[in-house]
Amino acid sequence: MHRRRIWVSLDGLPLRVRTSFPGFLWIGLLTATAAAQTPPDSRLKQWQSLREKKAEQLAPPVRTGLENFLYNFREQRVLEKFAAGWHHFHAKVGGLRTGSGFALGSEYRRERLVNGLLDIRAGAAVSKRHYEKAEFAIGLPRLANEHVFLEFTATYRNFPQEDYFGLGPRSRRQDRTNFRLEDTTYLGTLGARWWRKRMLAGLRGGIIAANAGPGTDPRFASTEKVFNAANTPALELQPDYYQFGAFTGFDYRDEPGNPRSGGNYVFSWDTYGDRNQSRYSFRRYSAELQQYLPLFNRRRVFAFRAKTSLTDTSPGQSLPFYMQETLGGSEDMRGFREYRFRDKNLMVYNLEYRWEVFSGMDMALFGDAGKVFTRRSDFDLGRLEGCYGVGFRFNQAKAVFLRIDIGRSREGMRYFFKFGHVF
Amino acid sequence: MCSKTALLLLLLAGLAPAQKFLRDDPVERDPDDRNIPAPKRYKLSDYYDFIQNSFGSPGDRRPRTAMNVNTLGEVPESTWFSNRHGRRRMPVEELVRGPDQDTGPAEGTLTILGAKNEGITPGFRPVRDSRGGLYAIKFDPPGNLEMATSADVIGSKFFYAIGYNVPEYYVVYIRADHLELAEDAVITDTLGRRRNMDRRDVQQILNKVARTSDGRYRAVASRILPGEDVGPFRYYGTRPDDPNDIFPHEHRRELRGLWVFAAWLNHDDSRAINTIDFLVKENDRQFIRHHLIDFGSILGSGSVSEQKPRAGNEFLWEPSPALVRIATLGLWDRGWILTRYPRYSSIGKIEADRFRPEKWKPEYPNAAFQNCLPEDAYWAAKIVMAFTDEEIRAIVRTGKISDPWAEEYLAGCIIKRRDHIGQHWLTQVNSVDNFQIDGSQLRFEDLAVKHGFREKPAGYTATWYRYDNPADRKVVLGGPEQDARSPLGIPAELRGGPEGAYYSLAIRRRGENRDKIPKAVHLYFRRGSGRLDIVGIEREE
Repeated sequence: MHRRRIWVSLDGLPLRVRTSFPGFLWIGLLTATAAAQTPPDSRLKQWQSLREKKAEQLAPPVRTGLENFLYNFREQRVLEKFAAGWHHFHAKVGGLRTGSGFALGSEYRRERLVNGLLDIRAGAAVSKRHYEKAEFAIGLPRLANEHVFLEFTATYRNFPQEDYFGLGPRSRRQDRTNFRLEDTTYLGTLGARWWRKRMLAGLRGGIIAANAGPGTDPRFASTEKVFNAANTPALELQPDYYQFGAFTGFDYRDEPGNPRSGGNYVFSWDTYGDRNQSRYSFRRYSAELQQYLPLFNRRRVFAFRAKTSLTDTSPGQSLPFYMQETLGGSEDMRGFREYRFRDKNLMVYNLEYRWEVFSGMDMALFGDAGKVFTRRSDFDLGRLEGCYGVGFRFNQAKAVFLRIDIGRSREGMRYFFKFGHVF
Repeated sequence: MCSKTALLLLLLAGLAPAQKFLRDDPVERDPDDRNIPAPKRYKLSDYYDFIQNSFGSPGDRRPRTAMNVNTLGEVPESTWFSNRHGRRRMPVEELVRGPDQDTGPAEGTLTILGAKNEGITPGFRPVRDSRGGLYAIKFDPPGNLEMATSADVIGSKFFYAIGYNVPEYYVVYIRADHLELAEDAVITDTLGRRRNMDRRDVQQILNKVARTSDGRYRAVASRILPGEDVGPFRYYGTRPDDPNDIFPHEHRRELRGLWVFAAWLNHDDSRAINTIDFLVKENDRQFIRHHLIDFGSILGSGSVSEQKPRAGNEFLWEPSPALVRIATLGLWDRGWILTRYPRYSSIGKIEADRFRPEKWKPEYPNAAFQNCLPEDAYWAAKIVMAFTDEEIRAIVRTGKISDPWAEEYLAGCIIKRRDHIGQHWLTQVNSVDNFQIDGSQLRFEDLAVKHGFREKPAGYTATWYRYDNPADRKVVLGGPEQDARSPLGIPAELRGGPEGAYYSLAIRRRGENRDKIPKAVHLYFRRGSGRLDIVGIEREE
């Protein structure tokens, strides 16, 4: 309908109203009708007159289109239904490795079965670049009044375009190749939480069967065409493993999904035994320390993380290239591509200065420094790779649900869109 | 709804007589409780309410005097507001009792009829006590025992004493075994499906809330309001199916002034979703009564956690500071981020030293608060200042906060915030008030001076006028400005004038605003049969 804006002056006050051509007729009619009446000499009569006029044209409240949409969105509990899934089936969006392309999958999930003790989930996802992942998990996470947990998981992965640049800190960007990693892992975990569930300790054990093969990314050479078994251990024949380990931790972050104060310290030890070749056994020691220093009512936070992983191999043993620690990507060195560096050991430091922009978004300036290295004697602060950047974190009350990080390093800029926080 | 109705109202308002005073001014009561046809229940989209108010500006934002005030600048009694402590002092026991009709749920078993499935605080709704009373039960969040429940109770007492319609709230202590489940109890799950409720549902709710050291649950029981819930009211426009609702809400003084009261008590959750209209039946009439509800997120409480430091200082979405924070990499911010709060888990985060009432903000803007003019705020500030220190402490005690230091700190905050409100809003207009005609004299008080917010002025000046009401014209009576002080002699002409004659008096403070004309208070008098009445008060801004 053609609408125009007019100015009407009433009672000495200018009033801006919007009306249409029929609206002018309506105004005219009302004016003529009202002008014929004598103004009431009583305030209450005046008000009563207004009420009588209004009573003649009552209408139920009506929602606008947007309001109606938002009302129904809430009333129909669209988000809750999406989260709850359909007959315990849930859609899975993303969740595979960065660079694997858009991933979609489904998960069957049941919680609190058998008197509220048992959880089960089983799911599978596939990405645009044909990354595949399937997982089954059964757990008792609430034993002993939620102080003890027991879980068993079986995971199958088929990642056909994993990047490999060669081993060591001096690997070259132009040597980028890709390979297929296909593995199946069976892992059992028994753990306990105590002291307000802040302390954590447990044991884990399982078996791993892995295969590495030619990569399918046509843009880059397949790994075996550029590298050989001499500089890339287990390139030709991949061992199966048994794994046994222990872990402990202390977590006193205020909100693990979006921490602003406290700390989280995790230590683990794992031994991996080569089940069929006796050439690739190793032990791995990992430590991760996170600390959050709040300022100004937690509207500013300095977040720090130090992480290291050290691998021991006995004489005559070596570490398969696909089991080596990696550095680079959205979780540690954000100015570099995912898995840009690989070696037996790694150390990485992340420092973030986070500030609240408004209640739904924080920003961060970050600096990352780290390296991979072969020898323990290189466990120092020399020859660290560095990068820096800026991040945007969209959050709800207790968690970051979307993170956009832009990192820059000597190898250029990297952009990451991730669900969830970095640390 | 709004365009046609508002146009009609404004056109008709334009046809009102030009004269300032009508024969029944000042109106003491707005009879907006006339019988109406049953309105339809309207449920608000809180998402839309946020978006509409954060990114738009609904309602009429013209700076104009509130439309529902009488000629004295007061709010007539109505289904929205009753003049209570601000008009006549309520005894302490009445303040403490507030809206409560009795002592709350009877001792013994509470029967759960359903679970609260709206709002963010876990609870049961409704429950029935052994006397048959129906209540909604809400609890404190873990780690903050007493915080939300005391805020609800304290808030209800204050807002009731101010004049709003509020539910009754009672602090209760419940043992799990005193909660009985009705056979037909239903719960609406997170997907909106209604099903029979079982004991596990009860336990799941209780698992999420705070417990006392002896294993009981502290809760607030709010009596279910009488009548039929027809949805919340908005802070703009009028309800199109209620003929009694003729004043656009953004131009109602009690809703504009609510900004001042909300600031006082840090009620940042004062949004439409926390209001409710009830269709009530009295005698042979049915009409809508308007209520404020849910005070769990006031003072230092944020209902499910302690109040955020942002609360009261910044809207949830405010583009200017957000852009500046981005541009300065967070090196710039507003002063509130430096606020220090004492650690009282039972009251949460509230303070008074940095409180600036004119800068206080709810979670998102609304038309009524945005339209609040100094005269509206002055009206509200007068009511706030009516609460003495002891009365405030007495009301805070109704929250049953077990830590006496926390209780005293909270009362101290409310007292200081009251004084900040008085300091600011009583000094934005001429605060000469409390006029009383005492024989041949007019008594008055300067409220800003009375409360110590301004120094006593060098004096006042008074100018008397004959006032031609139909023509809205004044003629000086007896010469120009005279020195004045209370009590002020009333000229003989006023005392002996003809019935129906109008007079006016302008009072100004002497010795301030030398480069401007001092702000005046204009009083209007009308001769009745054998008496002189004050019929109008206007304050220059």
